[in-house]
Amino acid sequence: MEQMRSANTASLLRSPETVMRLARLGSFHQCRLSFMRILLRRLKRERWLFERPVFEIDERGVGPAVYTAEGPERTYSLICFGHDLPPDQRSDRVIAHAWDSTFTLFDGVPTAADIERLSQNVPKQEAGRVSQSEITLSRANRSVRLFEHVVDRLANGRQPDTEQIEAVGYMMRTTAVYGSGKFGAVDREEIADRPEFTAPFQPEMLTVYLIRAYTLDLVEQMARIRAPETAVRIAPSLRRRFGVGNSTGLGLAPFIVKHPALFNNWIAAREEGLARVRVLPLATAGKAGSFRAWVARARINADTWQSVHEIQNEKLAMLKADLLRLETHIEVGTLEGARPWDRLYLWGEQNLTLEGQEQLVSLMLEPYGDLIDDLADRMSADEGAVFRIDGAMSLARLQEIVEHVYAFALKLDWAAPDNNARAWYVSEEKLEPRLGERFEESVEPYEQPLSPGRDAARMHKDIVVWKGEETVAAFLLHHPEHRHVARRAQIAARLPYAEICDNTISADMLPIDLLRCKLAFFGATHFDPRSDRWVRINMFQNAPFPDELADAEFDDWSYPLSPEIV
Amino acid sequence: MTFTLNEFETMGMKAARGAGLDWGIAEEAGKAVRWLAERNLPGAELLAELLTRNDGKCYDDLAPVSIEGIWTAKSGCLCPLIVGVTLADRAETLAPSRGLEIGEVAFPLLIAPYAAISAKVLRAPIELRWSGVTLTVASSDGFAIEGSDRDVFVSTAGSAQCRVLENSKVASSVVASVRRAIDMDIWNRLSAFAHRTYAPATKTSRELGAGSDLIDD
Repeated sequence: MEQMRSANTASLLRSPETVMRLARLGSFHQCRLSFMRILLRRLKRERWLFERPVFEIDERGVGPAVYTAEGPERTYSLICFGHDLPPDQRSDRVIAHAWDSTFTLFDGVPTAADIERLSQNVPKQEAGRVSQSEITLSRANRSVRLFEHVVDRLANGRQPDTEQIEAVGYMMRTTAVYGSGKFGAVDREEIADRPEFTAPFQPEMLTVYLIRAYTLDLVEQMARIRAPETAVRIAPSLRRRFGVGNSTGLGLAPFIVKHPALFNNWIAAREEGLARVRVLPLATAGKAGSFRAWVARARINADTWQSVHEIQNEKLAMLKADLLRLETHIEVGTLEGARPWDRLYLWGEQNLTLEGQEQLVSLMLEPYGDLIDDLADRMSADEGAVFRIDGAMSLARLQEIVEHVYAFALKLDWAAPDNNARAWYVSEEKLEPRLGERFEESVEPYEQPLSPGRDAARMHKDIVVWKGEETVAAFLLHHPEHRHVARRAQIAARLPYAEICDNTISADMLPIDLLRCKLAFFGATHFDPRSDRWVRINMFQNAPFPDELADAEFDDWSYPLSPEIV
Repeated sequence: MTFTLNEFETMGMKAARGAGLDWGIAEEAGKAVRWLAERNLPGAELLAELLTRNDGKCYDDLAPVSIEGIWTAKSGCLCPLIVGVTLADRAETLAPSRGLEIGEVAFPLLIAPYAAISAKVLRAPIELRWSGVTLTVASSDGFAIEGSDRDVFVSTAGSAQCRVLENSKVASSVVASVRRAIDMDIWNRLSAFAHRTYAPATKTSRELGAGSDLIDD
């Protein structure tokens, strides 16, 4: 069955040259295969139970809280520490030293001694140490704009202003969610075989999901203590409008370049999903209706998506125009007849901007959970399995691979300053990835291997003049400087979407394109870049809260509902 | 102090790079340190010694001059990290009848993770021998060591041999505990090498690099 399906879809798969361009990756939207959605589908399907055994938050928001999530086999606990942070210490930057709240996801249910131990370390974040029983480490700051407004309104017995909620979309903003062996936490490999953690970033997503519940409990508690006589809770109709914010800079950008096999599997799953829909001979009236409803909801989403950044505002205007065009196009019988989805996709290629095309792809997957959702199982990767260099490969074969995979790079003039303008490096001061100006700063000696195109072109130059034994092993013994890119080339030869087909160090590259792509796979919405290398997003906005999950519609939360449905 | 396997791997990679090895070799050095730590062996400790000893030496002095006959360095000791990648790259050329003779090599234990990669490729156990030590890695992650700690962790072996074993002689699978603790002095030495990969901050880099301001709203 699997093979038949693959055979049918193979001819419809979009080529890496089409998909793996920065401008397109930077136009991705969340979809059914986004990690937040994979998580919530599982939590609902398996009827996970949620409790809040500890909640000792005072009027300033200070104190511990614990949220437990109990699955079929294991229980996890988000341990929260609320702090009272002076406003002058509140920073979005990953490099801050104090936060409004700090968190860890604990493997099991913590004892009082565990909480005590963690209270000495979690608030310090990078400067503390956690242990093998902790899975993630995270922190969040209040949104100054909204947090106090909500507490104040609730304390006075009033609901927060919907326009203000809309303008921000969250009470707190995380600035990092660390996992996988960082700062002493358990190595991913130790827990990767647990069914609930096989898909990518599931512990991190669970952490953020529980943080969201905490942020609402926190404001309600502070309002209640401030004014016990008058305080009210947030109205059910408003609650889901609060997500969790996240502020992300360059720290995240190198990830998808450093993990080519994993990145391939994310992209390949979504592309296979698209192909499975395109190959369908017909759209039933039910599916066509469902699609129209999703398009309408995507329009509401676009209307409530606010950004302060010029680039994003341009893209937003295009998205809105695209959605209007799409809505009109599907009103006139275009979903009837043979291969309607394939025709619709091809129409999109001709008539929509990249932003709209990728929105269309995400929307086409929505009605077809039964056809798509199993692809979630293919999105993690055994990176160790592709790490070894095949030294027995002939050099001619490597050359052929390079000329195919890095064709875009071989066409570029690498002596031109604009093609070489940037250098990725790690700063001594902050130990964070940075993007420098190669010809204006002295960062080149510290350059990270994050420019596969340039490196492949350099290797190619040496391959064509090589006179020695015709194997990769012999070549690399004499050219160890090409070793990392030879590995990448061999990975990309096996995994078509492993490599970005664009120059990652050119003068006009936008790091936010890398960030957007990764965050869309997380399931983030409302991308709001603050510069070309820093973006704010919303996570789990409109999602049911843990206590609502059992009764909520299955995986129906990722776009706002139409007002008439509410 | 204890560290996670990911921390061992990252530190191994950064330290190797900081000491001047090329990125590809450094990536594999990180994996090697991790492999050894997973088997309760002091890979990070030996790496710190090795990098200190080879600090400032260039690749050409540490790599095998030729892979015909005995592998030897131009002068002095071979670097086990370079021997390791060369061995792994050439796994397919190993055969029970055709062993590999390695000349004077530093910290031969650091070759073991690469022999393990080759064993996986060949689906056959591989034996590494040097003075007083026989180390066998199976294709299935198992391994066995015979020899005193002094010999196993030796800083220089006059020579080492590597050969594929007949499938009948499968290495015994050893269930080892993970080595997480490391002396902080040694860890700090690795950190100092890793530190060399970080660019000193300048006024320009502070303004341009992160691209964010500090306004919080």
